[in-house]
Amino acid sequence: MANENKNNSSYRVYIFVFFSLLLLALSFWVIWDDEFGLRPWKKYQGEYKALKHEQLDREYRKAVVEFQRSGGHKRLAELEARLEKAEAFFQSKENKEKFSQLTAEFDAVHQNVARNQKELQNARGQFLETEYYFTKTQKPEYKTKMDELQRQIDAISLRGSTLQKKEDALKSSLSALTAGTAGLRAEIAKMKSGLEEKLEKIANNDKVPVEIKQVHIKDIDKADRCQSCHIGIDGKRQVSRVQPFTRHPASFVYIDHHDPSKFGCTFCHRGQGRATTSVAKAHGKVKHFDEPMLDGDMTQTSCLNCHGDIKGLRGAEQIVNSTELIKKYGCYSCHKIPGYETVGDVGPVLTEVGTKVNYSWAVKWLLDPKKYFSTARMPKFFFTQDQAESIADYLFSMSGTTRHDVDYSGAEPDAKLVEQGKALWSQARCNLCHTTGGRGGNHIKVYAPDLSKVGSKVNKEWLFRWIKDPNAYFPGTKMPRFRFTDAEINSLVEYITSEYLDDEAEAKYAQPVEIKAASITKGKDLIQKYGCYGCHKLQGMEEMVQIAPSLKRQGVSFLRKDEMREKIGTELSSIGSKPLEMLDFGKLKKSIPNDRLSYLKQKLRDPRGYRLGLRMPDFRLSESEVNELSAVLYGFTDANVPVRFMVPSRQELDRMAGVTGYKFTGDFAKVIADVKCTNCHSIRGIGADYAPDLSIAGSKLQEGWIRNFLANPDVIRPLLQQMPKLGLSLGKPAAKITMPKFNLGKQNVEDTNKSDVDVVINFFQQELVTSDIPKEIPVITTMTLPDQINRGKMLYDNKGCRSCHQIGMDGGALGPNLSNVGNRLLPGYIFKHLENARKFKPDIVEPNYGFSERERIYLSNFLMTLKLNTK
Amino acid sequence: MNPFIEIITQPDNIAIVIMIIMVSFFMAWAFQQAFENDRRLAAGLPVEGENDNFVDTFKPLVRIELIIALVVMVGLTIWSIAIDAPLEEIANPTITPNPAKAPWYFLGLQELLVYFDPWLAGVVLPSLIVVGLLAIPYIDINPKGNGYYTFAERKYAIIIFSFGFFVLWLLLIVIGVFFRGPGWLWYWPWQEWDHARVVFEPTKDLTSVIGIDSRSIPGIIIGGIVVVSYLVGGMVAPYLYWKKNNPELLKQLGMVRYITITFLFVTMMSIPIKMILRLVFLVKYVWIIPWFGGINF
Amino acid sequence: MKRLPEITDKVKKNLIWKSIFRRDYRNTIRDRAQAVFGNVFLHLHPVQVRESAVKLRFTWGMGGITFFAFIILVITGVVLMFYYHPSVDQAYTDIKDLEFQVPYGVILRNLHRWGAHFMVIVVMIHMFRVFMTGSYKAPRQFNWGIGVFLLVLTFLLSFTGYLTPWDQLGFWAITVGTNMGAATPFLGYQGPFSEFLHITPYNDIRFALLGGAQVGGNALLRSYIWHCVAIPLVSIILMFVHFWRVRKDGGISKPQK
Repeated sequence: MANENKNNSSYRVYIFVFFSLLLLALSFWVIWDDEFGLRPWKKYQGEYKALKHEQLDREYRKAVVEFQRSGGHKRLAELEARLEKAEAFFQSKENKEKFSQLTAEFDAVHQNVARNQKELQNARGQFLETEYYFTKTQKPEYKTKMDELQRQIDAISLRGSTLQKKEDALKSSLSALTAGTAGLRAEIAKMKSGLEEKLEKIANNDKVPVEIKQVHIKDIDKADRCQSCHIGIDGKRQVSRVQPFTRHPASFVYIDHHDPSKFGCTFCHRGQGRATTSVAKAHGKVKHFDEPMLDGDMTQTSCLNCHGDIKGLRGAEQIVNSTELIKKYGCYSCHKIPGYETVGDVGPVLTEVGTKVNYSWAVKWLLDPKKYFSTARMPKFFFTQDQAESIADYLFSMSGTTRHDVDYSGAEPDAKLVEQGKALWSQARCNLCHTTGGRGGNHIKVYAPDLSKVGSKVNKEWLFRWIKDPNAYFPGTKMPRFRFTDAEINSLVEYITSEYLDDEAEAKYAQPVEIKAASITKGKDLIQKYGCYGCHKLQGMEEMVQIAPSLKRQGVSFLRKDEMREKIGTELSSIGSKPLEMLDFGKLKKSIPNDRLSYLKQKLRDPRGYRLGLRMPDFRLSESEVNELSAVLYGFTDANVPVRFMVPSRQELDRMAGVTGYKFTGDFAKVIADVKCTNCHSIRGIGADYAPDLSIAGSKLQEGWIRNFLANPDVIRPLLQQMPKLGLSLGKPAAKITMPKFNLGKQNVEDTNKSDVDVVINFFQQELVTSDIPKEIPVITTMTLPDQINRGKMLYDNKGCRSCHQIGMDGGALGPNLSNVGNRLLPGYIFKHLENARKFKPDIVEPNYGFSERERIYLSNFLMTLKLNTK
Repeated sequence: MNPFIEIITQPDNIAIVIMIIMVSFFMAWAFQQAFENDRRLAAGLPVEGENDNFVDTFKPLVRIELIIALVVMVGLTIWSIAIDAPLEEIANPTITPNPAKAPWYFLGLQELLVYFDPWLAGVVLPSLIVVGLLAIPYIDINPKGNGYYTFAERKYAIIIFSFGFFVLWLLLIVIGVFFRGPGWLWYWPWQEWDHARVVFEPTKDLTSVIGIDSRSIPGIIIGGIVVVSYLVGGMVAPYLYWKKNNPELLKQLGMVRYITITFLFVTMMSIPIKMILRLVFLVKYVWIIPWFGGINF
Repeated sequence: MKRLPEITDKVKKNLIWKSIFRRDYRNTIRDRAQAVFGNVFLHLHPVQVRESAVKLRFTWGMGGITFFAFIILVITGVVLMFYYHPSVDQAYTDIKDLEFQVPYGVILRNLHRWGAHFMVIVVMIHMFRVFMTGSYKAPRQFNWGIGVFLLVLTFLLSFTGYLTPWDQLGFWAITVGTNMGAATPFLGYQGPFSEFLHITPYNDIRFALLGGAQVGGNALLRSYIWHCVAIPLVSIILMFVHFWRVRKDGGISKPQK
C-alpha cells in the first residue's frame, strides 16, 4: 500500500527542475546586480583609468617622438656602442686578471685599514682611562703610561694614513679600469630615465585598484564616497572634461583651500555622500532625502556655513551679491535672520508722514508701489482701496486729523529760482543716488527713491525741512545733509516741485476732509496684521502724537509697543535645512517639485500662492533675484559644522578678543552723521565698498588735494571703476562715479567753531594713518635729485607702466590717471605701494614688479613731479 | 500619479496587497472544500481524506516540502529583487509624520482607536483577542467537523470566527492602510491626501442625544445602565432562549463555558455596534466614568 | 556515459560518503523508513503519513512555509547583525551602508524585510486553515494554544524589528504602537486606575518597554535585543513544542466522526 505513485510524481519533477533553474537564474541575477548593477563606480573608474592611460600613453609617444627628433636615439645608440666597446675592452683577459688582482689587493688593504682603525680606537680608550686615573690620583706611573700610549697612538695613526693612501691609490686605479663603463651606464640611464618614468607612470596607473574611495570626517561621522565616481575631481591634471571625470572648476579657490580629504564633498555640495549605487541617490535627488546636491553657483550658499565674513571672499561672489538683496528688501524686518540683527529699518519713518506726503499719493502707493515707480522696494500687499485708505488714515491721523493733498501742477514757478535749483541739482549730483526719468541712481549699492514724480508726492514745507536737515525728520537716514544755504534750498525745492511732477496724480483732497475714527481703527488692525512696523518706524510715538480731542473721544488709540510683534514672519535662521515635512506646499503640492529650493523659489515668486490667508507681500522679484535670494536663504542652515572649520567674522573675532569695533568719535562723528561718508566709502571696516576705502587716506593723500577734491569732486579713474571687477564677480557696471558736492567748508561743525573741512582733514591726518607707510621716503645722497627723477622716468618707460596708466593723453586707461599724482598722493604711499601694491588693496590688478628700494625711490621721485597746474 | 496607485505601490503596502490576494484565494479554497464536503456528507459519502491510505514520508512528503520551499524562495527572491525595502529619513522625534501609522498588522487596532479609548482598543481588546483564540478549543464543544473542511456542521463557529478574522481584523487593517490619510481622516482611493483638511464632526455622547449631559450624574447613571444592560442582556438573553428551546445544549456547555462564550461574543459584537454608533449616529461615548483617570465606553 | 554508474559506484563506496550516509539507498520500505528516522531533520516526520498530508489542498503547506520563512529570517538576520550597531548614531547609516557598501546587502535586507511580512501573512493563513478544518479540536487543543502564542510572537518579532533601521517609518510606528501601552489600566500612566499605583510616565509599563519616556537609544537597544535574542529564543522553544505535539497528537489531523 505504501508505494510511490509514479504518475503523480513525474510532473513534480518538472516543477522542481523549473523552479530550481529559476532560482539559479535569479541567483546569477543577484550576483550580477551586486557586482555591476549596484556598483556604477566600477564602470566609471575603469573608464577613467582608460582615459588616463590614453593620456599618459599619448604623452609617452610624444616624448619618444621628441626624443628621436632631437637626435636622442642617435646619441643613445652611440653611447650604447661605446659602452659595448668599453665592456669588451674590460672583458679582455689581461684586464680581467689585472682587475681581480687589484680587487684582491684592495680587499687586503681595506681589511688592514679597518683593523688599524680598531687599534687606534682601543689605544685612545686606554689613554682616556689612564688620563682619568692620573687626574684623580696624580701618580707618576700613570703619567708615564700616558706618554707611552700617546706614542702608540701616534704610530698607529701614521700607519693608518699610509694605509689610507694605499687604499685610495688602489681605488682610483680600479675605477680607472672600469670608469669607462660606469660613466657610460650612468649617462645612458639618465637619457632613458625621462621615458622610463613615463612608462612607469602608465604601469602605475594600470595598477590602481578599482575600489570605493571614501573620505571620512571622524568628528561628525561624515563619509563621502563621491570620489568613487568623481575620480579626477582633485587630480593635478585634467584627464577629461566629461562628468564625472573632470577636475573641480576653479580648484585654486575651492580645492586648494578646502582639502577634500579633510572636508569631503557634501560639506559644501550636500547630497548623499554615502550613496554609491546610483547617480540620483548619490546626488540626493531621491525621496526621503532632504539635501539634494548643489551644483554651480548654488554651491556658494554653503560658504555661509563657516565663513562669518563673505564680503570679499574669493569664490563667493555670487552669494555676496545675493546677501545684498536681503539688505535691499529688508527681509530681516519681518523674519529673524542671523547676522542681520543690527541692520536698521529699511523703510522711512512714518510717524509724521501726514506732514510729508499727499493723501492721494499715499493711497496710490499703498495699493501698488511698483506702479508708482518700477524700482520701488516696497512690496505689494494686495490691499483693497478701502484697506489702503484705512491705513493711510491711521498714518495721517498720527500728525493731523484730515486727509489732505497739495497740488503744484497748476502753479507758475519762479523761473529764476528753478534755474538756480537746476544748477544746484546737477552740482550736488543728486542723480548719483536718486533716479529721475530713468537716469541715475544705483539701486544695488545705495538705494534712494526715484524722484521723477516727487513733486506730486510731497509738499514744499516738508521738502525744505528735509533738505535742510534730513536727520531731524528721519534719524539714521542715508540722505546726507548738504551744506546748502536756505536760499539754495528754496531754489532746489522750487526746481523739484516744478520739474518732477506726476501727470497722473490727482489731488482729490485739495480741500481737506476729516478722517473717520472707525477707519483709523481699521487701519490700526491692518498695520498690526501685516506688520508695517517691521520696516517703518511707527512705534514709541503714541505719547508724542497729539490725538485730536474729537478722535480721542471716539476711542481712537494708536499701536503701543507691546501690540507690535518682534518679527512677524517665520524665522529663517535654519530655513536651508528645514525638514520638508515642515514646509507647507498647500495647494501646489502636486504642481511643483517637493523640495526645499523649489519651495523657496515659489514662495518668493508668489508669496501667497500656497494657500489662502498668507500675509507675506509680493516684492515682484525678477527671476534672477528669486534665484539669488533663494540661494542665500538655502545657506541659512543649522548644519553640524566642526569648530575647526569655522572662520569667524571680523566682528566675532573682535568680540572674542574683547575688542570693540571701530567707532567714530569727536567732531568727525558729527560730520559723518551729516554727510554719511560711509554710504559709499569704507572707513576702518565701517561702510560700503562703493567708493574707495579711506582707512589709510591720511597716509595716502595730500592735504591740499583733499581740500580741492572736497570742494570740487572730480573723476580720478574714469574707466577702471566702470568695469566689473575682474575675476568671478558679476557686478553690474556702475554709473559714472563722481562724488557729490557736499559744500563742505561753508559751515562749522555743530557746537564748535571749527570748519567741517578742517575737521575732516584733521581726522584723516590723525586717525586714518598707518605706521606701515612712512611720511617721507629715504633719501639718496649719492645722486642728484634730477638724476633720480630721470632714472625714475626711464623705469616708468621701460617697465611698461604706460600700458595701463595715463600721463596727459598718453597711455592706457586701466590704471588711475597719473597726470596729477604729484599733487594727490604722498610720496611715502607711492614708495610703499610700489613695493607691494596688494598690501593696501588686495584685489588690485597691478602686478608686483619686484622693484628694488633704489628703483622705488627713483620712481616715487619721478611721480611726485607729475603735477597739473591748479588755479 | 493616481493617489490610489501611489498608496498601493508603496513598498510596505505591497505586502498588504499580497496578503489580500493570498487571503482571498485561500478563503475561497477553504469554503469550496467545505461546501464540497457538505455535499458529500449530505449524500452520505465519506468526506475527503476520510479513507486515506498511508504513504511514505520519503519521498512524497519530502519532495513536496522541497518544492514548496523552492517556490517560496523563488517568490521571495523575485519580491526582493523587484522592490527595495523602504528606508525613510533618519528618525526625528520633532517631526511627526501625518498620519503616523503603526506596522500594518496592528492597523486594525489603530483603527479601533477611532471608536474606543486607547486602554480598550490598545490593551483590553487585543488581550481579549488572544484570550478568545486560546479559549476556542475549550468552548467549542461541537464534536463534528474535526479534521476536515465543513461548513454545515459548524455554521456558527465558522461564521463568528470568519467575522472576527476577515471583518474585524483584516478589513480594519485594509481600511487603516488604504483609507486613512492625514489626521486619520477617511480618504477614498481616488481622493488626494490633503494635510490641511479639517473635518468637523460634532460628535456627542449617547445621553446627550436625549439631552442629558453625559458627565452629569444622571448621564453617568443612564450610560451605565445602557452598557451594563447590553452586557448582561447580551449574556442572559441566549440563556433564556436556549433554556426554552434547547436546554440540552446549555447542559452540555456548563455555566463557565456559557459565560465565557457569551462574554467574548458580546464584547466582540460591541466593536461593530460602536462603529455604527460612531460612524452613523456620531456617538462617541456611551458611558463616561470621569473618575479613576477616566473610563469611557 | 557507460562510465557514469562506475563513477557513482566509486563515489558511494568512498569512505566519506559512507560515513555520511551510512548505508546505500535501495528504495525498499526499510530504506525509506531509515531515510526519515535516520535523518535529524526529517525525523520530525513519521515514517509514513496519510495521503492528505501529501496533498496541497488540505494543509496548503502553511505551517511548513511559516517555518521555512522563519529559517530564511534567521539566516539573513544573523548576517545582517554583522553589519549593524544598535545605537542611535550608527543604526541608520548602517542600514544605508547595507545598500552602499555591503556585498549583497540590498538583497539581504530585502529578503529579511519581505520575508518578515510574508511570515506574518502566512502564519495568519495557517491559523485560518487550522480553524477551518477544525484541527484544534481534541486532542489538539493544547497545540492550538501554543500556535496562538507563536502567532503573537510572530507579530512581536516583526514589531520589534520595525525600529531597528531607526528611520521615520519605524520610529513613528513604534511610537504609535507603544503609546497604546501607556493606556494600560493600572500600569500605564494614561490608563484608568493608574493614579492608585502612583504611575507616572517614568515608571509605567511603556517606560519599561522603551527604557525611557520616549523612543530613544534605549528603546532601540531593547527592541534589538528582543528582536534578535529573546523572542527568537522563545519562539524556537515553542516551535519545538508545537512540532512535537503535532507528532504526538497524531500528525496531520484526519477526519474524525
